[in-house]
Amino acid sequence: MPYDLTVNGQHHRVDADPSTPLLWVLRDHLGMTGTKYGCGIAQCGACTVHIDGTPARSCQVPLESAAGVNVTTIEGLSPDSSHPLQQLWVEMNVPQCGYCQSGMLMAAAALLSKIPNPTDQDIDSYVDNICRCGTYPRVRAAIHKAAAGSKA
Amino acid sequence: MGTMPNLSRRQFIVTAAAVGGGMALSVVPAEAAFLGTEPWAASDGLAGAEFSPWISITPDDVVTVRVATPEIGNGVMTQTPMTVAEELACDWSKIRAEFAPTSRDYRENGVYAPGNSPTGYFSGRSTSEDRMKLLLQVGASARERLKTAAAATWKVPVSEIGAKDSVLTHTPTGRTLRYGEVAAKAATIKLDVEPTPKPQSEWTLLGKATPTKLNNADIVNGSLIYGMDVRLPNMVYAALRQSPVHGGMLKSYDAEKVKSMPGVLAVVTVDPRETPGLAMKSGAPFGYGDTHARSAVAVIAEHYWQARKALDALPVEWDDGAGAQWKSTEQMVDAAIAALDKPSESIEKATGDARLIDSQDKIVEAVYVTPFSDQAPMEPLNSTALVTADRVDVWHPGQQSRQAFWVAADEAGMDPSKVFYHQTFIGGAFGRRIFGDDLRMAVAVAKKFPGRPVHTIWSREEQTRQGKYRPLVATKLRAGLDKTGMPAAFIAHQATKGHFPRLADTPYALGCIPNVRVDAQELPFHVITGAYRGPGYNSYAFMIETFIDECALAAGMDPLEYRLKLFAKWPDPGWTKVLKEVADKSGWGKTLPKGAGQGIAIANWGMNGKPQAGTTVGVVATVEVTKSGILKVHQIDAAFDCGRVVNHDAALNLVQGGLIFGLNMALNEEMNVKDGRMVEGNFDQYPILRTGDTPVVNVHFGGLSGHDRFAELGEPPAGPVGPAIGNAIFRATGKRIRSTPIRKHDLSWA
Repeated sequence: MPYDLTVNGQHHRVDADPSTPLLWVLRDHLGMTGTKYGCGIAQCGACTVHIDGTPARSCQVPLESAAGVNVTTIEGLSPDSSHPLQQLWVEMNVPQCGYCQSGMLMAAAALLSKIPNPTDQDIDSYVDNICRCGTYPRVRAAIHKAAAGSKA
Repeated sequence: MGTMPNLSRRQFIVTAAAVGGGMALSVVPAEAAFLGTEPWAASDGLAGAEFSPWISITPDDVVTVRVATPEIGNGVMTQTPMTVAEELACDWSKIRAEFAPTSRDYRENGVYAPGNSPTGYFSGRSTSEDRMKLLLQVGASARERLKTAAAATWKVPVSEIGAKDSVLTHTPTGRTLRYGEVAAKAATIKLDVEPTPKPQSEWTLLGKATPTKLNNADIVNGSLIYGMDVRLPNMVYAALRQSPVHGGMLKSYDAEKVKSMPGVLAVVTVDPRETPGLAMKSGAPFGYGDTHARSAVAVIAEHYWQARKALDALPVEWDDGAGAQWKSTEQMVDAAIAALDKPSESIEKATGDARLIDSQDKIVEAVYVTPFSDQAPMEPLNSTALVTADRVDVWHPGQQSRQAFWVAADEAGMDPSKVFYHQTFIGGAFGRRIFGDDLRMAVAVAKKFPGRPVHTIWSREEQTRQGKYRPLVATKLRAGLDKTGMPAAFIAHQATKGHFPRLADTPYALGCIPNVRVDAQELPFHVITGAYRGPGYNSYAFMIETFIDECALAAGMDPLEYRLKLFAKWPDPGWTKVLKEVADKSGWGKTLPKGAGQGIAIANWGMNGKPQAGTTVGVVATVEVTKSGILKVHQIDAAFDCGRVVNHDAALNLVQGGLIFGLNMALNEEMNVKDGRMVEGNFDQYPILRTGDTPVVNVHFGGLSGHDRFAELGEPPAGPVGPAIGNAIFRATGKRIRSTPIRKHDLSWA
């Protein structure tokens, strides 16, 4: 049956099995491939999106419960890559292969909107995504720098 | 931040030339605003005048550099243009990189990878000597041709022309032309004598600048197209299941049970006996032997989740084959260790007389084991293939695209001239995507469903259990220490499946210990093995560097001093320099509380038997172990010698990442076998460190010897982390770590 979704402020109607994970609705039905498939069991965080501003692992959100909420994906984090984290990620060469970084950015952005000046422990608990390239030190540094920048 | 200006997406387009002509053009969606995100997208007509297969310049000065090294996150698509730009003297903001098409390489007799060298299309080594030479020459040659064209335009001697920032200046009169204004003319000029690239001392970009990577901008908004993100008109999805016991065969399946499920289009099988092959000499750099199809069944559906659900519901039976005899990992490890008692006659290295061990003062002997491990790149394996009667198109996140190109041709039974390989970006590789076996499976599936592009996706569980793993290795090391405590002779017996002859590629076996024998034997395991970041090295660095620590202990010497003494006569000063740097910066020898300790290790990847080659990495790990046995790695310090670096921040990024990779390999990674099947399927069973688990990682640059090489940095850092931690644990607890993963050891102490 068709479901009405709001993704990055845009309305979409998707006709798919109600159990289809939001991850695959985004990637496959809506063609928004920025949200990545990494594990499918909410372990890696590559599929992190915001649902009504809260980070969620979209591989665990069935289509039927994604209807009627506001979904924000990496494509909608900012209209022009101007989010401070996006700018710092570029400037500080955070990514290596980059595959996990959509999810990293979404997790980090959610953290900063909740805790504008996070401690290392805050980062550890909110940004627990897996990066096989080992970009963690730069992820941490970029989040701290973004926090410092927003205070200035 | 680097010294280069920030570059907007518009200025910086990372893309790749079309290999499929009109077909590829037609699949680029009109709304794809950012050309650079799809690396196979056509640039024909955009690139301008072609100076050589490597470089083109448009009338508006845009320089297109073609890169024959797939981007796996190591920055090759930024480093390669930097090297060209050094000699081209162009405005860095006018450069765009694109992928050097593998299909063109074939059509034009190896223009990008002459001689079928394994590194010809390999994703690493962008700063290897041959590549640097080639790329600097490409830049210098184009610059001289631009100058010659300007001189002809003004009818003045070439010697009066200067070139800088994409502008040609007639020095005596101050007249100027932009590169783009003479590019068409310059591209037709043939120089009588090729220019000599300038000496390194005059470099302004290499070794000086650390620009942001060209594809960063497309990563941070999710627009970069990895293999997983390929979207084509009429594309369908396949979910794949291969024999859970490697080498087993599909016995039966019941397609009727799933045929009516939503979206299901077909249930197809892959039979390794059905590979048609090519009646011509293969150009696959690694051959086809490591790429065989695996017996499999796949469900094809309109959407991936439909295919996945139907596959999960599909009744399937397998003939497990011979692999089922291996009931447990323990049984395999026992078999490997037992094999060490009957050493092989297959000698890998023999110097002097290793039998002298028995006449020495002391004998040190130990057995070490490292397990099967999965590369676990974040992007699960996947490939897209469109098979028609007269051509095959493939979209593939491949680490060695020439290899994959030939594998695709072999599986399709299609002449390579009709195979069009579209390189995508790659979500991590670490050796898993070198052989093209993933693409073979996708072609095998797609040829059963011709006429529509089929995107075959391995679930994380499927990828993890259908690996090409780092091999399980058991090694017995035995050394005789002379009166001074130094090893006079040593023997290494190795037993493994899928052997990498790397153990002897260390100064210990190449002169520092006078009498050496290294042998190896293959074990009859069914588990499929392959390349994993630093093949062979990733096990042997752990074994040898733990063993050297044991020798130092037996000699009653400090492990740092022991190594310095061993390397005293080694003709590569980098080893000593690295050791001293990392010891100094880590505070080696400082007093630590009970339960804490430091460990040191040093190893080199890439020396291939000679000093002053490859990259040497020294690590000091600082750890603490609670009485109940909980390990905390507080800090990793590393120094390295790759000779010189051309890009400080890129080097730092790779070494940081490689150390963290090595840390996870040592602490966590192990693939187990039960009744022939691989046990672990996902990250809940195959743990990977996260931000909060990662210690302070300090990379020190004071170990660089300045030797004239720019050796690789991807593999080397992964080797010495594990032994440094194991040696630190020994100093903290008295418990010697002779196998990984370390998390399985009881580290409790009293």
